[in-house]
Amino acid sequence: MNFSMTRRRSLIAMAMGGTLGAVGLPATVFGATPVKGGIISVATIGEPPTLDPMMSTADLVGILTQHIFETLYTFDAKWNVTPLLAESLPKLSADGKTCDIALRKGVTFHDGSAMSSADVVASLKRWTGVASRGKQAADVIADIEATGADGIRITLKQPYAPLTALLAMNNSAAVIMPAKKLAATLTEFIGTGPYQLKARVPDQYIQLVRFSGYKSRAGEPDGYGGARKQYLDEIRFVPMTNANTRLESAIAGQFDYVDSLAVESLSKLKGSKSEAVILKPFGWPRLVLNTKKGLMADQKVRQAAQLALNEEDMLYAAFGDKNFYAVDADLYPKGFPWATDLGGAVYDKGDAAGAKKLLDAANPKDRTIRLLTSQQYEFHYKMALVANEYFKAAGFKVDMQVVDWATLVQRRANPDLWDIFITHSPFLPEPALIDFPSKNSPGWWDTPRRDKALDAFNQARTQDERLKLWAEVQKAVFDEVPFIKVGDFNALSARSPKLQGFTPAPWPYFWNTWKA
Amino acid sequence: MLRYILNRLVGLVVVMFIVATIVFVILRITPGDPAAVMLGPQATQQDIAALRTQLGLDQSILTQYVTWLGHLARGDLGQSIFLNKPVLTVLADRAEPTFWLTLMSLAIATAIALPVGILSAVKRGTALDQSVQGFSMFTSSVPSFWLGLLLMEFFSVKLGWLPVAGYGGPGASIGERLSHLILPAVVLGLVNSALITRFIRASMLDVLRDDYVRTARAKGLTETRVILRHGVRNALIPILTVLGLTAALLVSGAVVTETVFGLPGVGSLVVSAVLRRDYPVIQGALLVIAAIYVLINLVIDLLYLLVDPRVRY
Repeated sequence: MNFSMTRRRSLIAMAMGGTLGAVGLPATVFGATPVKGGIISVATIGEPPTLDPMMSTADLVGILTQHIFETLYTFDAKWNVTPLLAESLPKLSADGKTCDIALRKGVTFHDGSAMSSADVVASLKRWTGVASRGKQAADVIADIEATGADGIRITLKQPYAPLTALLAMNNSAAVIMPAKKLAATLTEFIGTGPYQLKARVPDQYIQLVRFSGYKSRAGEPDGYGGARKQYLDEIRFVPMTNANTRLESAIAGQFDYVDSLAVESLSKLKGSKSEAVILKPFGWPRLVLNTKKGLMADQKVRQAAQLALNEEDMLYAAFGDKNFYAVDADLYPKGFPWATDLGGAVYDKGDAAGAKKLLDAANPKDRTIRLLTSQQYEFHYKMALVANEYFKAAGFKVDMQVVDWATLVQRRANPDLWDIFITHSPFLPEPALIDFPSKNSPGWWDTPRRDKALDAFNQARTQDERLKLWAEVQKAVFDEVPFIKVGDFNALSARSPKLQGFTPAPWPYFWNTWKA
Repeated sequence: MLRYILNRLVGLVVVMFIVATIVFVILRITPGDPAAVMLGPQATQQDIAALRTQLGLDQSILTQYVTWLGHLARGDLGQSIFLNKPVLTVLADRAEPTFWLTLMSLAIATAIALPVGILSAVKRGTALDQSVQGFSMFTSSVPSFWLGLLLMEFFSVKLGWLPVAGYGGPGASIGERLSHLILPAVVLGLVNSALITRFIRASMLDVLRDDYVRTARAKGLTETRVILRHGVRNALIPILTVLGLTAALLVSGAVVTETVFGLPGVGSLVVSAVLRRDYPVIQGALLVIAAIYVLINLVIDLLYLLVDPRVRY
């Protein structure tokens, strides 16, 4: 994970009835008249590792490239999958194995060529070959073929409910590009999006300009879906890696939008030239346990670790203010279709005696937890410090290994090197997009109960059925403890009062916005 | 003298080879993986392994080293993993802000240090001298990032006179770009002026005790003439040395200041390359910095010839 605590966006937008709050004016000024023209500058947390949205799961890549490239589907304001380049939602065969997708007509790429089914098939084939999410789908995809000039068919080996969500995601994304421009390493970034790439000067700016040939969907904007209005002439993304500098630039009003500010800087934004936007809830930190090797391979020991922790103390240490976190065991908070109310019987207990009992029963030879964390995300480190004390109270020894994030990412791939590492994630629109269900993800959760719960969840045909089965997946998580969710946390960003029409989102987008 | 220059250039090659080898080995034994950084948080181990193979990172360190040296011998510093551009092009793109920043900082540092250092030496032991020494101590002790944030808060946020950070957008004029450099240049100029001031003071104190200065005074020359013509000129060699070292340090060492002010220079490039483990860029940047370091020192050595006719190579 290469995103910072404050970098992700809440999935709860106002329209969803969530609790996103803008300090000062509301984030979207309803009733204001849109104005065409103008340039905005957006301060981001850094330079994206690539502009190929298939290649990376990094949020920053998704935030930038979603303006250039488009997918067949996307998410509406209620996080339902909605068509974007596809004409409508896919038609599924009775056995759930054939998925016919009609394409919108008259869509053109930034190079002026018309989008065809051949481009879509070629793009999706590249996606299944190079993108992490594409490879996840490739396991169940038997074939992708054109069914005419304006339609494609995806044939599945088995019913697979998450397919459309995977096709809709904006990182590791199934974006559609001209077949002739596809290459192992992209040299031209040609999409169908409302803005096209004009210039990229690494670590200085990425300049996008309005695509005059853009064909928007009809109707009104609806989350990432619906109409995409191109009011702005230009959007400039400016990397600003230093968090303090981003804050100062927000206070001085140098940028129209400043991404990812430390939550404790909220008070500094009051009375400044930018307005604070609190994104609530934003994401969830978690402790991932190594189920494959070492101390945590024993389920009883994992349960002891879970029982030992007091998550509220960890959240308080990390975020310092109840406005910025929520004590919540469920994997999705209220406001999401996937929200549950299971409560987590083993969550936030801080039960040292109970944990010690479980640990004694497991009786491991060595009770040392190798706890891997990074100070690059300060809140990870603070949570690790608190967890350390609770683990010790329960009879564990802790070997806390504090490394930089790149080192952590490398070490966590080796099951011999760690027992627990700390990470975080935004609330993703669909559970299948989260990495933990994968047996290949560090942690390597692979048990019969996991298979049963997740297979049933992935193959369910109706949303109601999937919602029920999602609860079963969570119960399996609580019982088998492949990871421990710490809670929900919020994020802070800032926008200029002149930036209008902006709807906060986990991956902020600037079509539909204008400059007053 | 030509022989001397040739010898120094041969020395440069040796230095660069040593730097290249050390940097290569240290980078390869440092944990962290560019493939994992590039592919993002949810990439699978298989994806990471596949990209490592594509980038040639799965080969043995020796194979990678020999391949890299081969390219280096042909003047090819390699290709940036993340920017997908030749390292030389990436460095050239970053040279402009670093060049101007170095020049402006050096000018500010010299403009402060030269009069203050001379005055401090001439007024040795006085309250003025004590104040200068105290100020030098203070500016050399202040962390540049703190000073940067302080100046940013005052001049950019409170007064709104200067931009907070960045280097201007597309089509920015030279004036606009230079306005982005003023605060970082002042920070670096102030911090570096401390060392130069102390050097100038010490050098001038040595010179002012020499016989020819006493003779100049005995001839009835004005004190100003004595100091400027006989004092400063003879103190120039150590001053040139410290200015050269400062310039070399600024080229390579403005890392923190460039990062704080969001300047897309060589220093910030090195930082971002280290964080994302862009090996070719780190290796290339450090090699070029080492070469600049050696070359600046060579130029300073040659300048001694101009300043002091007694120097011979």
